[in-house]
Amino acid sequence: MRDQTAVPAPRAAEPSALNRWFKTLLKQKTLIFMSVPFVIWIFIFKYVPLWGWLIAFQHYRPNLTMFQQEWVGLEQFRFLFSDDTFIRVLRNTLVQAVIKLVLGFVTAIVLAILLNEVRVAFFKRAVQTISYLPHFISWVVAANIISTALSIDEGGIVNEVLMWLHIIDQPIMWLGVGHYFWGILGTSEVWKDVGWNTIVYLAAMTMIDPSQYEAAEIDGASRFQRILHITLPGLKPVIVILLIMNLGSILETGFEPQYLMGNGMNADYSENLEIFVLKYGISMGNFSLATAAGIFKTVVSFILLFTANSMAKRFGEQRLF
Amino acid sequence: MTSMVKQKMGLLALAVAMAAVAGCSGNSGNNAGNPAPASSPEASAPANTDAGGEAKEELKPVTFTYFNANSQVPNIDSNKTEIGKKLEEQTGVNFNLQYPVGDVNTKIGTMIASGNYPDVLAPDTAIDKVLDAKAFIPLNDLIEKFGPNIKRVYGPYYNLMKAEDGNIYFLPFSPVVGEYIPSPTIDQGAFFIQRRVLKEAGYPKIKTIDEYFDLIKKYNDAHKADKLTGFSSLIYDWRTMGIFNPPMHLAGYPNDGDVIVDMSSHDAKVYANSDYTKTWLKKLNEVNSEGLYDQASFVSNYDQYLAKISSGKVLGFFDYGWQANQALQNIKKTGNDDLDYMPLPIVFDNNTTDQYLDPPSFINNRGVGITTAAKDPERIIKFFDTMLKEENQVLIQWGIKGETYDVDDKGRFYRTPEQIEMLKDNAKQESIGFSYFNYSWPMYGQGSTLADGNSFNAGRQPEVAQASFTDGDKLILDKYGVKTFSELFAKPEDRPWYPAWSISLEQGSPAQIFTQKSKDVKLKYFSKLVLAKPDQFDGIWDQYLKDFNKLDVKAYEDTLTKEVAAKIAKTQGN
Repeated sequence: MRDQTAVPAPRAAEPSALNRWFKTLLKQKTLIFMSVPFVIWIFIFKYVPLWGWLIAFQHYRPNLTMFQQEWVGLEQFRFLFSDDTFIRVLRNTLVQAVIKLVLGFVTAIVLAILLNEVRVAFFKRAVQTISYLPHFISWVVAANIISTALSIDEGGIVNEVLMWLHIIDQPIMWLGVGHYFWGILGTSEVWKDVGWNTIVYLAAMTMIDPSQYEAAEIDGASRFQRILHITLPGLKPVIVILLIMNLGSILETGFEPQYLMGNGMNADYSENLEIFVLKYGISMGNFSLATAAGIFKTVVSFILLFTANSMAKRFGEQRLF
Repeated sequence: MTSMVKQKMGLLALAVAMAAVAGCSGNSGNNAGNPAPASSPEASAPANTDAGGEAKEELKPVTFTYFNANSQVPNIDSNKTEIGKKLEEQTGVNFNLQYPVGDVNTKIGTMIASGNYPDVLAPDTAIDKVLDAKAFIPLNDLIEKFGPNIKRVYGPYYNLMKAEDGNIYFLPFSPVVGEYIPSPTIDQGAFFIQRRVLKEAGYPKIKTIDEYFDLIKKYNDAHKADKLTGFSSLIYDWRTMGIFNPPMHLAGYPNDGDVIVDMSSHDAKVYANSDYTKTWLKKLNEVNSEGLYDQASFVSNYDQYLAKISSGKVLGFFDYGWQANQALQNIKKTGNDDLDYMPLPIVFDNNTTDQYLDPPSFINNRGVGITTAAKDPERIIKFFDTMLKEENQVLIQWGIKGETYDVDDKGRFYRTPEQIEMLKDNAKQESIGFSYFNYSWPMYGQGSTLADGNSFNAGRQPEVAQASFTDGDKLILDKYGVKTFSELFAKPEDRPWYPAWSISLEQGSPAQIFTQKSKDVKLKYFSKLVLAKPDQFDGIWDQYLKDFNKLDVKAYEDTLTKEVAAKIAKTQGN
């Protein structure tokens, strides 16, 4: 709202405004030229494919051209929303997304702060390297490591340790109990990505003026207080921007871990939108349904992104646009 | 401080670079997996071959791509195998053979979506999709012009091969030529039981499911210290037959997929919601409560399952021979006959006649076709025709004379024990080319007979079958008073529609959606039913029935009943 009032454009001044616009354009020509390739890239790869959305309103057959297809209106969407599976899949997607978002943010920020406080350079670097490493393992390998660790057969380390500690007396089939899946997924994602996610926070921390810490120290602030009053506020802009960006892609909960660790027993909790699209769309050759689900996802993401952004605006924080 | 920043920047840069490298290699991988561009220059080369003076031109080397979804073996150029080399000498044609990694339906689905087809395609279960996308070219005219051998082999089956529009789009793998010879071993479904269990019990003749599990229980109780697994199932991806199909077999029917077809009315009935399935799952539930069922079955993948069977610690399992074969071969290799398995035709009760063996049948929804992307279908059909010459059919099944088989003075083909031993090695099978050529090509059907009276399949030649039995095999066959494993099984009754699983369903039709949905519901409930406490079983079963019957069962049954009738009519109108 404020933006609109901030640009008063009196009608009489129009030619001169246009002039000014051209002048600015001319002044910034280098910048414009630099951005042109990316605008073209975005246009080709993000906007041109949008015309394929038409498929969602057809009974699409790959051997016919777009205009020979049979138009079915909203039938695909009707199928989606009248289906119990879809509702369940939507719930899983949202829950998995929230778990991923919250766990991902909290653990990365905590680890980054801890690392920042470590004074022994060797130890710090060792921890960083070790925590980055899993990020470079592909999910196929990671999922096998996880399912072996959780197995009830010999060599399932999790069950063996728990039995040895007498916490449980029967091995638990972790991947076979549906409601454990979200926890397993969240933990796996953290294990895999926490180190990687700290990078941007560590970079942001180096931007905080060291004299602030010195001043706080002279004033008698404890280490914990310094974290609370200097490091965290210093990170706030980065956190907010990342949050907004992540909200935009919140429904992208990933495909590989759910596909690789999912099975009949935990399907009620593991199947998300992507797997639904694969099963009922691509595997069954129903491209229209897959597209309809994709459109739905985009619309939800769009709403979330704008909500987050306008909230950031209201709270006077940095924002995306 | 600045040095810290630099370090971090360095790290970031490194990370970005690594990500970029990973991205690039991913791309090049995709290109390698993408057949069309790689082969098109070669494939287009001989396009100028005119039908006239072709005698020499014909042999001009050419490479086609063939994506074969039937098996999972390493990709290869066919002329790197001995059989492929021999065929190249005759035709000048080399094939770049490609095989799927992971889910076939997804792979073919993306192929269709992108329109990037190989020259030749065997889509296995995804064949309906390929036909729906009109990706195969009609072969009628090509066969008429260039395929005398194709006509000879497939001629009797034309009625069953024709699509609704009267065209033939692909060549199936099962046209039986000559007299039908049944397989001496079990490559279809059976309840397998470890031989040490039978041995300890004194080789009893067992028939019912109760007797089967009693034996396993007795053995396991006597050997508690060995930590054995009583019974295991394969339930992974599309390989769910290990738990879905037994009720049908136990009730005395062959593998008709999701339905049981009545012998007199020819009505197709889904059995997943029937008492057969209830009895089967209740039995598994009971077995599980005795600690005999392998609970990991529900979460293991195919590799883990094969590894478990290969370990020799599993006392029994239900599976199809072709699916468990790799594990069975591994056990054979250990040479410990006690750990080897015996396939048995188990049924629900003593009054049921088993029908595990396949009736002779023509499977008309699996096959190999030429895609619209093929630059030179003529060369390919000529290659197919050359393959179907009797001498080449011998080549793809028996291999090379003097090397993988010999001929005695009466003209009978046989294999020496050394040859049989040599061919047990998968690497050898691949280098000779059996792994690549003995299936998924235009070919005589399994069980065919050659013109000289030899069996088409080496394995079905009595001389070879006898020679390839181990001493343990011979001993156990002797104990049961039979000559071959299949003799223990009842003779298959005539079922002209068989197999009902080969009936194709229209994309997006209620019947097709039923197959996916019912699979999901079954997967969800079967694990619960088996692992539940016995007193909860009935409650969960009622819940399952409620959920299952919400699906469009009727649409599926009606479609199948209609198609079964149509297939019977086609076979009889032959």
